[in-house]
Amino acid sequence: MKHLLPIALRINGERHDLLVPPWRTLLEVLREHLGLTGAKRSCQEGQCGTCTVLIDGKAVNSCLYLAVEAQGMEIQTIEGLAKGGVLDQIQKSFVQKGGVQCGFCTPGFVLATKSLLNDNPNPSEDEIRVAMVGHLCRCTGYVQIIEAIQDAASQLKHVGGS
Amino acid sequence: MSYLRRLPKFEYLAARSIDETCDLLAAHSNEVRLLAGGTDLLLQMRRREACPAYIIGLKGIAELSGVTTLADGGLAIGAATTIQAVMSSPVVREKYGVLAEAAAGIGGPELRNVATIGGNLAGALPCADLPPALITLGAQVSLRSRNGERVVPVEDLFPQFGMTVARPDELLTTIQLPSVPSCSGGAYLKFHDRQSMDLTTVGVSALVTWDAASRTFRDVKIALASSAPVPLRARKAETLLRGRAFAEDALEEAALAVCDEADPRTSWRATRQFRFELLKSLTKRAIRGARQKAAPTIGDLS
Repeated sequence: MKHLLPIALRINGERHDLLVPPWRTLLEVLREHLGLTGAKRSCQEGQCGTCTVLIDGKAVNSCLYLAVEAQGMEIQTIEGLAKGGVLDQIQKSFVQKGGVQCGFCTPGFVLATKSLLNDNPNPSEDEIRVAMVGHLCRCTGYVQIIEAIQDAASQLKHVGGS
Repeated sequence: MSYLRRLPKFEYLAARSIDETCDLLAAHSNEVRLLAGGTDLLLQMRRREACPAYIIGLKGIAELSGVTTLADGGLAIGAATTIQAVMSSPVVREKYGVLAEAAAGIGGPELRNVATIGGNLAGALPCADLPPALITLGAQVSLRSRNGERVVPVEDLFPQFGMTVARPDELLTTIQLPSVPSCSGGAYLKFHDRQSMDLTTVGVSALVTWDAASRTFRDVKIALASSAPVPLRARKAETLLRGRAFAEDALEEAALAVCDEADPRTSWRATRQFRFELLKSLTKRAIRGARQKAAPTIGDLS
């Protein structure tokens, strides 16, 4: 059995060459090999959404994705969202609307919002709630999170969308 | 509930084509598992319910995914097409609404972006949402091995709990849907605890073909999730409704016939008795919903 595979991952625009066993998940490689601890390990079964990253722009649970299978794709984590020390609009909206309390679920929510607004720049409250079903927050009761997502959508619309 | 462990060790084999997958399956048939989306298999492996020596990864096989309209008016869906791609396919939404509905109710976007239609079938779980929808649509699957291909109706795919009729050297490659008769409509309704992200407690799929001239059911197909050890077609209720007018007593009799055929279990999620109650009301609602879509211009009973 080959224990270590050479793999190349493209994360936040940067190429990383690694040697990992095939049974490592993308989440394990991000956190333990690369020190990218923004994606959180929690339920490990796709229920809670804290491990969410974007693969080719789509939100996925990195705890249920083998690192070896993420090769050749564009992976985006929460660490890659702020540009030049300036927060992304979604992050700003979460801060301004009080969508962050303990912060454990926040990277997942922010990236899921990014994916949602890419597909649907002007979501209704219902569409937001449906898109966030895979994310659990034990602090906020979701109201401020929904408000933050609505705020991000309207702010991005004002600047012409992106 | 127990703490989920890391994955057990395995050797990873990246397949690039259907033929290569068949060769790999033939070479390792008893100690290998196919990994498409992985949202079920990786969990089973974390729980040590499955510890395969080899994993064949299917994500790199382009010919396994996509939705194609067939010359005869039917539809072919590649087995590795994601649930998200199935539910957002314009032709599925327009012509096979019941499948789009069932797909939209599975998990959240993060799971639907990786989980596949083939995986939902091959997992052979009674709580899977796509088998009932596909059974009511008369879908068939192609199973490919080095020795050739065979076609099996989804209805005959599940001989017993957790199993399909696929042999260890066979790969599920496509799901074929026949064209839907005119004046047809479908509905998939399910009950689950969190209203999302939870396994289905009971699911009912109904496809109604309406006879406008005689104002009766020309044909009805009904199939159930989490109501027996396998996805179940409720033939008695179908027979009972055929040729009947749309009336409360017909729905009531159909609901009782569905319960007569179903054999739900008691689990921590729900008791057998509660599942029967759910079956009764979901069956009636699914038939109403399907008929409404089959003949939108005619009002409901009330």
